[in-house]
Amino acid sequence: MAGIMAERYTGASIKRSEDPRILTGKGRYVDDIKLPGMLHAAFVRSPLAHARVLAVDVSAAQALPGVVAVLTGADLEAVTIPGQDPLFAMMGGAGPKPEYTLLATDKVRFAGDPVVVVIAESRYLAEDGCELVEVDYEDLPPVVSAAFALDAGSPPLFANLGDNIIGPHKRSEYGDVAGTFAAADRVAEFRIDVHRHQNVPMEGRGCVASYDAGSGALTVHAATQSVHVTRMGVAMRLGIEPDKVRVVAGDIGGSFGLKIGASREELAVAAASRALGRPVKWVEDRSENLTASGQAREESFDVRAAVSNDGDLLGLDVKMVIDTGAYPVMGTMVSSIIEMMLPGPYKLAALGFESIAVTTNKASYIAYRGPWASETFVRERVLDLLAKDLGLDPLEIRLRNIAPRTDPPFTMITGRPLVGVTSKESLERIAQVVDIPAFRRRQAEERARGRYLGIGLATFIEAAPGPRSPEGPSGPMGMEFMRLRLAEDGVVTLFTGQMPHGQSHQTTLAQIAADEFGVPFEQVRVVIGDSDVVPFGLTGGSRSATMTGGVTLHGARQLKAKVLDFAALLIEASAQDLEIVDGQVQVRGDPDSAIPVAEVARQAASGQFGTDVDTNFEVEASFDGGEGGWSGGSHCAIVEVDVETGLVRIERYVAAEDCGALINPAVVEGQIRGGIAQGIGAVLLERSAYDQDGNYQSATFMDYLLPTACDIPRIEIEHLETVRLDADVNFRGVGEGGMIIAPPTVVNAIEDALTPFGARIYEQHLPPARILELIAAVDSGQ
Amino acid sequence: MDITLRINGATCTGSPEARTTLADFLRDDLNLTGTHVGCEHGVCGACTVIVDGRAVRSCLMLAVQAAGSEVTTIEGLAPDGELGTLQQAMWDSHSFQCGFCTPGFVMQATAFLRAHPDAGERQVRAALSGNICRCTGYQSIIDGVLLAAERARQS
Repeated sequence: MAGIMAERYTGASIKRSEDPRILTGKGRYVDDIKLPGMLHAAFVRSPLAHARVLAVDVSAAQALPGVVAVLTGADLEAVTIPGQDPLFAMMGGAGPKPEYTLLATDKVRFAGDPVVVVIAESRYLAEDGCELVEVDYEDLPPVVSAAFALDAGSPPLFANLGDNIIGPHKRSEYGDVAGTFAAADRVAEFRIDVHRHQNVPMEGRGCVASYDAGSGALTVHAATQSVHVTRMGVAMRLGIEPDKVRVVAGDIGGSFGLKIGASREELAVAAASRALGRPVKWVEDRSENLTASGQAREESFDVRAAVSNDGDLLGLDVKMVIDTGAYPVMGTMVSSIIEMMLPGPYKLAALGFESIAVTTNKASYIAYRGPWASETFVRERVLDLLAKDLGLDPLEIRLRNIAPRTDPPFTMITGRPLVGVTSKESLERIAQVVDIPAFRRRQAEERARGRYLGIGLATFIEAAPGPRSPEGPSGPMGMEFMRLRLAEDGVVTLFTGQMPHGQSHQTTLAQIAADEFGVPFEQVRVVIGDSDVVPFGLTGGSRSATMTGGVTLHGARQLKAKVLDFAALLIEASAQDLEIVDGQVQVRGDPDSAIPVAEVARQAASGQFGTDVDTNFEVEASFDGGEGGWSGGSHCAIVEVDVETGLVRIERYVAAEDCGALINPAVVEGQIRGGIAQGIGAVLLERSAYDQDGNYQSATFMDYLLPTACDIPRIEIEHLETVRLDADVNFRGVGEGGMIIAPPTVVNAIEDALTPFGARIYEQHLPPARILELIAAVDSGQ
Repeated sequence: MDITLRINGATCTGSPEARTTLADFLRDDLNLTGTHVGCEHGVCGACTVIVDGRAVRSCLMLAVQAAGSEVTTIEGLAPDGELGTLQQAMWDSHSFQCGFCTPGFVMQATAFLRAHPDAGERQVRAALSGNICRCTGYQSIIDGVLLAAERARQS
């Protein structure tokens, strides 16, 4: 067994099978698709945040040579089904449902709202046409802040709602909230804000829609995290039978939560293709991407914390307001997850949680890597603020409050058991790797020289997939499906609904299947991105390691059993005595008996066997998540703040992560580092800023600053692999953790650096100008 | 306007409009879709190609400005299917994830290493700081470039 283990693909940093094509320019992204007769779309967008549309004059645009059609909101309304964002509709959620059209008809609701689509022979000509469209607007008062949206006097964005509240006020209590606060030594109060920032994949949204009038079928070449979710969205809003919509996807240039379902623009392009009977391409430019594709994370939290004089965090009472922007996508999903996750890995015994969601004249609030991440930011910020008040070390207050790993496991006050959570272990690993007392000595010495260093710690858990619920019929993340086939040439083909956009599934799933089935890595093919071919699935929520890794393992096992049953006829041995080693079927331990898997498959396909012999080498597998489990970890940053310029330099960053068994360590580390880089960007650089009139201020890469190779330090990673819960599947998700935990880690370090200035930080965005305000080097204007 | 230029070693002719960017000319007229367009205002570097030996943002250059020039795109680095030293080192280093920024980084690093074969990490980071990757946090890309430089020095 030990010898075989050493030769396993799973657990090794196998080189990616995606790389030869992307390193040579042979990837196929949506903008690379050209279809015969293809037209190009460009959108006329609202320059105003909130206005009535009085008149739209498209005559000059229509007259421009090369322009094929100019479609208004009314034109598309006539051929589509009004409603909500398809994703919002599918996810349900409490509260009233705004109804709207694909392109604005009666009013526009944010600066960038699409009003007219121009279809032309080239993108250049389509944009020329946009210049000639005239829209008359009548200004309405913009609703730019959540505070104004909560005001009953604010003009409603959606007439059918009557106000701007889309997720109604809701309060829940867990444990004895009143009693806990009444008995606590201290009650601290904070207002913590998380600013609006956004996904910004290097490839924006886009699609090529192609309608075939003969069959009534619509093919959409999409950039999506799920071909099936996009298919359902297109069918829903275009009023087409779902099986007549085929969604196809190739390489996807990143997403981070942006490309789920079908956006209004993509639906408009699909409707235009159907109306014109020709393929239509739309690929958003960077300005559209930044302005109109969606933004994330604008939330505020009024926090009360009940705490003992010794530093026991006894209870939290949190009031959350979430600003969902103009066309709600996420509904109340985010606040529900934040509520459930707020206790984190701590022994918190009482939680009061209130939330309300508003709609405002800004781009839609959408999913972005760890959409519920603010629960970790709030909790880890509060712990540091409390530690400061009590004179405790940040490590000490965390270790004091972490729930112990017990059997049965400690259960979060909101209900889920902390089975297999290793937060204590990851904090201790950080303390082993980073000599905190030595840092404190150096910090004191440097302060005396006028240099300001700080250290920040934070810890998180992520339900990837989460613990199995004893009472639930299915696993923590529902079901995952896969079709597996052994082809006549001996290639094991996996058909997965995962739609990787950087996650390397064509490599990692092949590793697992190759090991489990017994063929070389190169003899596994992973088929993605065709809704006519692959089962339902979605890449998101850090689900694929457990769910797709698990269905691959179990599916390969099922397929292998089928193949061995048949091979037993050829080898004249019992199937139980057969094995597959390196692509050869043989009697266990007897290489002389070996037949190549390809030969077995060819024999099965030869048609020489009767119906009583199973020669169908294809299985449909499903997996419910097995025993599940949590991912998590603790991070540490050491920063230096230049108090003259306000610049923050990250001197060292250490991540101790536990995602169970690693499928491909290089892929796991890439996910962790990438998430951390986005978290660092969120704190030091990135902000989706609006002015008081709702004009978007961050519509170019000169204004929306992304971290570069000079901003992100080397990131040291420590892997913990502490707990095995399942007999076979102990891979856990790691896609979102870095982005969840890096913001509090970096902010905690900055506050620590600024201790001599008495700085208390209640926000996440700390560009140089804000740092200078915090140390009172410049007036904050407040 | 009729132009003639050399692309990846072959002579090409075309008739782009005066306003057509080099990036769009390469992608739309010549089907060289390996060059990616990420921002169209010269910040992200995804569209970087090499023009007469220099790394250039093909979204900021008009096709007509490239008339008479020698242009190398990502497709020109491994014409016979064999990965070059830099591409191989990047594969070995797990440099990339989604792959959209990849052509720009590869072209930028190709031009940089030709001029600075002995560069260390700080220089490499500075040289690539005009290219944006949203997936990796850069470390794997830097490692790939440094590995390529080391291999080139040893061979």
